[in-house]
Amino acid sequence: MSSFVNGKGFDIALVALPLTFLLTLSGLPLIYNGLMSFQQVDLFSLGTFWRPFVGLKNYTELFAMPETWPIFANTAIFVVSSIVGQFLIGFGLALFFWTNFPGASWLRGLFLVSWVMPGLVVGAIWSWILSGDFGVLNFLLRESGLTYGNVFWRSDPNYSSWGVIVANIWFGTSFNMILLSVGLSAIPADLYEAAELDGANAWQRFRTITLPMMRSSIGAIMALGLIFTLQQFDLFAAITNGGPNNSSNVAQYWAWELSFRQYDFAKGATVSVIMIVFVILASIVYVRSTRHEARR
Amino acid sequence: MGIYKYAVLGGAFALASVLNFCVAAKAEDATISVWSQDGDIRPAPNLIADYNKLNTDIKVEYREVPFDDLVNEALRAYSTGQAPDIIAVDNPEHALFASRGAFLDLTDRIAKSMVIKPENYFPGPLASTMWKGRHYGVPKATNTIALYYNKDMFKAKGLDPDRPPQTWAELLDAARKLTDPAANVYGIAFSAKASEEGTFQFLPWAQMAGVSYENINTDGAVKALETWKLFLDERLASPDTLTRGQSDSTATFNSGNAAMAISGPWELDRMVAEAKFDWGVTLLPVPEEGAERSSSMGDFNWAIFSSTKHPDEAFKVLEYFVSQDDRMFRDFGLLPARTDIPIAETGQPLKDAALKVFLEQLKYAKPRGPHPEWPKISKAIQDAIQSALTGQMSSREALDQAAKKIKAVLG
Repeated sequence: MSSFVNGKGFDIALVALPLTFLLTLSGLPLIYNGLMSFQQVDLFSLGTFWRPFVGLKNYTELFAMPETWPIFANTAIFVVSSIVGQFLIGFGLALFFWTNFPGASWLRGLFLVSWVMPGLVVGAIWSWILSGDFGVLNFLLRESGLTYGNVFWRSDPNYSSWGVIVANIWFGTSFNMILLSVGLSAIPADLYEAAELDGANAWQRFRTITLPMMRSSIGAIMALGLIFTLQQFDLFAAITNGGPNNSSNVAQYWAWELSFRQYDFAKGATVSVIMIVFVILASIVYVRSTRHEARR
Repeated sequence: MGIYKYAVLGGAFALASVLNFCVAAKAEDATISVWSQDGDIRPAPNLIADYNKLNTDIKVEYREVPFDDLVNEALRAYSTGQAPDIIAVDNPEHALFASRGAFLDLTDRIAKSMVIKPENYFPGPLASTMWKGRHYGVPKATNTIALYYNKDMFKAKGLDPDRPPQTWAELLDAARKLTDPAANVYGIAFSAKASEEGTFQFLPWAQMAGVSYENINTDGAVKALETWKLFLDERLASPDTLTRGQSDSTATFNSGNAAMAISGPWELDRMVAEAKFDWGVTLLPVPEEGAERSSSMGDFNWAIFSSTKHPDEAFKVLEYFVSQDDRMFRDFGLLPARTDIPIAETGQPLKDAALKVFLEQLKYAKPRGPHPEWPKISKAIQDAIQSALTGQMSSREALDQAAKKIKAVLG
């Protein structure tokens, strides 16, 4: 009994509880999903666990489809552009608010509004902004003389995925800003004072103090950014539906389309498994960068 | 996406256990459960409430399932033995269930029925309930698409508002005359979206040219797709046609930004309220004078799950639903799928004239499929439409690719 209060038993209980939770709520669905990608899944065998095993057939079929590589390429472009855009603007804003001008903390709080909004609402608003004939963006571009005609952001295959990327950057920037602001405020002010006394200019201080001290925050935000952008579904559903002609389709939306529009659950699971591999890689980066933090 | 899937699965399990309990508790009373997507103002919940007021020994329970979840939920329920007794399913998905024996074969019951008579139905909706010549359901309501046109704009551009376009050539010609970029007016609005809506709008064009989904790469379909391409290439329709659904497209017609629109009777009430101009409806133009007419066919079918413990009672409930078909339009704004029920005048002259055209168009409406793997066939057609209209493939190449994919599905 005493071991449960302060001994080994207590430690085990502490570990076992979250582990059970994780295994049942995340582990089992993951395994189920992985299993499904090697099976022949049929609408009517959805409720059963043991289905005909087909080996790598789902994978070979998937990669034989003409849209597969373009969609994965779109996913890569979407993820990289979104993360870079969100991070650069977010970091810029964080540094800006870090100067602590009057009202800075208020304004910083207001920026979070974009992050609080539901994705479908953000998507619906951007879908109006980007709309071809009557969109606000086209109006601004035309009136300012930047473009002559209307750009069909949602329906021109050259622009459609950029329309969603812009919306996603807007969506995720404030979250980046907040996390980076927290990182910035954790840097001791005396480091900067000492550097200033030694005659370091603003750029040198940024490069040699801010960036190295922010390393773990940046690593974490990159990993989280990867996970969030790979999860981004609502914007696609609300703005382009992955169209036209899959030009703005990405793996996460495609997996849903395969499973719940074409009822090809095995292929949907296969796409998910491929994505999971990437997310696991990102998680390793994330765990490593935060482990560093915990030890400090 | 993973999250969505698991959330849905979790919900289904929770629901299944609750339903399981209900069924077990009331097995002797012959409780019939009905699922559909109908909300308050639609038929299912109202008909069920009225039926329960009759106080028969059958009690009917209703559950509203959102459209996007209906098929998934029903399939999961069926595969775990928790299916409802009666379901209203979207017509292109009927064959999926019927072909796998999930729906009860009603052929013999219908033959004996005094209420349900196959000869009273439009052929299109009826065909969508059938599989291999047997009846697996009854059409609940129906709809189709035709051409709406703005009579005021016709007059302004020197076109005869009483003689709307009858052939594709006339339609193109009218669209060219009506398009007016300076006034923000496109000649025509329709939907080529990469979803079932795109297929729904395109198939009639192919069918009028004598093509079906089984031979989608023949000359007629190429001509149909080329005509669509002309609309977009010449900017007679908005480039957003590629990503916009039927409802948003028709909204541009209502606001006077498109002179013609291809859509269905579900738009009538909104149009009466929104459109500040004189408008009319005409049958979908055909490839050339005298060519075969065709159109799409939408809306839901009733069916009984083969797993029901009370097939006779469920059929009685179904007969009651059918006996109330004459209320379908008056009370719920839907067109009954029947030729023997006259649609009463609404007192709205524009609407009444439009309804006559839609009832005429319904005679030519064809179901999509029926085929158990319709979603995959439909996807192949959507891909072809989109790759041709974006100019990434020629119409012929795009349809050849679609035909290849469809052939793989048909086996």
